[in-house]
Amino acid sequence: MLLAFDWTQLAQQIVIGLASGGVWATLAVALVLIYRSTGVVNFAQGEMAMFSTFIAWSLVHHGLSYWAAFALTIAISFLGGAAIERAVIRPVERAPVLTVVMVTLGLFFVVNGAARWLWTPETRSLPNAFSTRPIDVAGVAFSIQDLGTIAVSLGAVFLLWLFFRFTKLGLASRAAAVNPEASRLLGVRVSWMLALGWGLAAALGAVSGMLTAPALASFDQNLMQPVLLYAFAGAVLGGLDSALGAVVGTMLLGVLINLLGTYVDWIGTELRLPVALAVILGVLLFKPTGLFGRVSAWRV
Amino acid sequence: MRQRALGTALWLLLAVAVLVVYVLAPRFVSDFHTRDLAHAGVFFIAIVGLNLLTGYTGQISLGHGALMAVGGYTTAALVVHEHWRDVWTIPLAGVAAGIVGFLIGLPALRLSGLYLALATFAFAVAMPSLLKKFSGLTGGGQGLRLLEQAPLQVTGLSGTVTLFGHSTSQNHFLYYLTWGIGLVGFLIAWLIVRGRLGRTFRAVRDSEVAAASAGIDLARAKTTAFAISGVYAGVAGALLAIQSEIVNPLSFTFLLSILLLVGTVVGGLGSLPGMVLGALFIQYLPDLSTHVSTAQGVPDFVFGAAIILVMILLPMGAGGLLRRLAEPLTTRLYTRP
Amino acid sequence: MPRRIQLILCAVGALALATVASGAASETGVTSSQVLIGGTIPLSGPASAYQSVGKGAAAYFRYVNAHGGVNKRKIKYIYKDDGYDPSKTADKTRELVQQDKVFAIFNSLGTEHNLATRAYLNAVKVPQLFAASGATTFGRDYKKYPWTIAYQPNYRAEGTIYGRYIAKTSPKARIGVLYQNDDYGKDLLAGLRNGLGKKTKLIVSKQNYDVTDPDVQSQIAKLKGARVNTLMLFATPKFAIQAYVFGRKFGWRPKVYVNAVSSAANVMGLATAGTSKKQTEGSISIVFLKDPTDPHWKTDPGVKLYRSIMKRFKGGNPNDVYAVYGMSAAHTFVAALKKAGKNPTRLGIMKAATNLNVKNDPFLLPGMSVKTGPGDHFPLDQSKLQRYHNGHWISFGGLFRVR
Repeated sequence: MLLAFDWTQLAQQIVIGLASGGVWATLAVALVLIYRSTGVVNFAQGEMAMFSTFIAWSLVHHGLSYWAAFALTIAISFLGGAAIERAVIRPVERAPVLTVVMVTLGLFFVVNGAARWLWTPETRSLPNAFSTRPIDVAGVAFSIQDLGTIAVSLGAVFLLWLFFRFTKLGLASRAAAVNPEASRLLGVRVSWMLALGWGLAAALGAVSGMLTAPALASFDQNLMQPVLLYAFAGAVLGGLDSALGAVVGTMLLGVLINLLGTYVDWIGTELRLPVALAVILGVLLFKPTGLFGRVSAWRV
Repeated sequence: MRQRALGTALWLLLAVAVLVVYVLAPRFVSDFHTRDLAHAGVFFIAIVGLNLLTGYTGQISLGHGALMAVGGYTTAALVVHEHWRDVWTIPLAGVAAGIVGFLIGLPALRLSGLYLALATFAFAVAMPSLLKKFSGLTGGGQGLRLLEQAPLQVTGLSGTVTLFGHSTSQNHFLYYLTWGIGLVGFLIAWLIVRGRLGRTFRAVRDSEVAAASAGIDLARAKTTAFAISGVYAGVAGALLAIQSEIVNPLSFTFLLSILLLVGTVVGGLGSLPGMVLGALFIQYLPDLSTHVSTAQGVPDFVFGAAIILVMILLPMGAGGLLRRLAEPLTTRLYTRP
Repeated sequence: MPRRIQLILCAVGALALATVASGAASETGVTSSQVLIGGTIPLSGPASAYQSVGKGAAAYFRYVNAHGGVNKRKIKYIYKDDGYDPSKTADKTRELVQQDKVFAIFNSLGTEHNLATRAYLNAVKVPQLFAASGATTFGRDYKKYPWTIAYQPNYRAEGTIYGRYIAKTSPKARIGVLYQNDDYGKDLLAGLRNGLGKKTKLIVSKQNYDVTDPDVQSQIAKLKGARVNTLMLFATPKFAIQAYVFGRKFGWRPKVYVNAVSSAANVMGLATAGTSKKQTEGSISIVFLKDPTDPHWKTDPGVKLYRSIMKRFKGGNPNDVYAVYGMSAAHTFVAALKKAGKNPTRLGIMKAATNLNVKNDPFLLPGMSVKTGPGDHFPLDQSKLQRYHNGHWISFGGLFRVR
């Protein structure tokens, strides 16, 4: 019976799941970054990433090569993210969590509206970062694009880790997030650390968008909304304060959704997403801070 | 003693004023416009309930749109499948949503803050898919159309409604029904807030650890808050179904949940009167934004900018502003000279 | 006749004439100078790409108005955003009827959305004209809903065309279907089975997807695994493009039938750019409108007219075939309005719309007519097959008439 089971199909579906998850991973890391620096989940992260993708499209449309546009978009997004933090988050820095969440919700509509105003609603495409030539390994197909996407996600996480661990700026940033009061006393410009965090997150989001659009082969202003949901789910699964957890979580989620859809028939297409979310909920009930998250104790 | 009498008299005056506005408001707007006001009333009921949960008990919920869906679909299913009269389904819709609210409250016991917000958000996201799945009951992607599938159970099918010999237009009827229930709901919420349950809720909000060590059963408090706010959302959903005469998964996306939270916070957490302003905000601002410009994306932009501005300038929402304005008056009434 | 009596008779006669000329009580939404119509279109939300349907129609009406209008009346067309939410559709439609007091609802977009308002509009006897939806029910259930009529060739008919063609030309095909899990996808599938007739067992695999799915990689992998060689794409543009892309990724090049909604030239262009010319080569679809980006129609007077209207009357992006659809629908409305006579009533325009025979629509394929009559409430029920070759659609064969 074991031999009759279609192992190739299973392997293929796992690979597909990893590829899908890899696309969401970078956005999930961006969410974690904001959560660790500001203590909130940025509901506008996806829309900001979408906006960056449109910027990249415009740059390519005006003649830049893909990688030139890629780099320039990252730079622009970094500045944009920092600017948004200064303009809109700074006034509510010390406000309760819910207030900041509301601001990010407002930002969701603002960025979405701006993208709809600046660009028409038709379907567009972004050129592929990597070749779409398929590679076949023992009957399982995947493309260089899949590998490239996962590599970029992991690479981004690694770079961030290096930054936070080994640079002075990174250290200051972590201190500011963990204990703003003490950091201030030590001379850390806490406000600017927050802006840095948002800038980096926006840059990561831009990467996410610029990888997602070619992976799905077309995009419009709705590009990142489903991705945001999957990124949330994956980040929560992995633990909102762990970047590695975000990557692992989203890839696990991708595989889970795919396998559920393939092998559990009664789930059908409509229930794939709810079931995946329910599984995450189940994990959270056992480990409320996610797979890699750390439990914190609060002072009364 | 005299001050107390004065205070009571002023409250009574306020109550009478509210009733007068409620009864007479439709006279000042067009017939169709009362339907808009009725729609605002739906939001009002939902966010009063949400305020009890988020403002008074400190539990963030981004899933109340899904609870409205439970109420709305309960109504629609009862009307279309069981041929109930639309208005009589309202209590049952509230109960159904209350039960689901309670069930959502259970994970809340283990999750807190942002994780809870995300878990409720996941519920809101999953709701349209769930509605499409159980299509035998819910009509799937097409939803349920009350007017088409059970016209006899729709109140005001002909355009007029006759109650106790008094005839009124369907739009007026919907307005009076919705805001009437709204006022009753407001009163109940006010009594809850003033009473022991309200104090329990606030204790949980202010510090769970302290509340627990003071002997409060956190589980019961949280699930009760979820259940009660669920009932409100369910009733709101039922009224929405009755007003629109249809339910469809596309009407209950996560955007609705976001809108409800926006209304609650802008109205003022922990302020029940502010909920009127919160409801008007989410009802009218998107429409008003189209007057600024009908160009693509501008209404969304304006709506989002308004939310941000309110959060920066008035973080306590309209209710906070009301409280500050009323402060001189209330301090005079309630402090000894 | 004494002079005074002559004068009095003249005066009376003039008065009588004036009374008659000002007409009987005029219909709601109709004044001596204007006809007001309205509808709902998704200007925001997931389906906002379809808003050109409204823009194209609006531009056409402005063109007609610039040439004097219909029976000296200008057509005022307002469309409101329903955000693709059927309960908003219901709200806005009521607003159009009760507050704006339109003569008729025209060109509202969306299947669930038109369904949401159908019972109400029929109850208050307001025409629901040329609903932009391919669902069969709008043309089939006219006995119950006599005030409702749609426009485009319905999805079931489209599926039937494919089924019949495959049964005739590839009787040994192994058919796989990727369909959206809603009425649109299911209608196309039902039509396919209908057209295949006895050969429905040619369908060896059916995979569906929900719009909330992240992508359709999994479904494509399974279709390939079932050794499908004929792929039916009953999917909206985003997912149709993905089907091509993932087909290439899995090294799979079946013969593709792509439904009309996703066959627009820019969609096919994106699919080709994301894969290769070979991947999209030979795809088959149906067509009933002139695609403005098809070089075949470059010198066609109809397309030229379309482009000039789009430019002069600000219809938006002229390369958008949805705008052509809107313009064709508007053209048909004008024909119906003309037929409804000098004093159009709601009943009158319904009668006109259900007894149409318009042969000169410049935006439809040559030879097509917009025809309705007793028992036939499908204005457009003809299409041609077309094949994608070298980056363009080339129609072949004759006009199918299917219902």
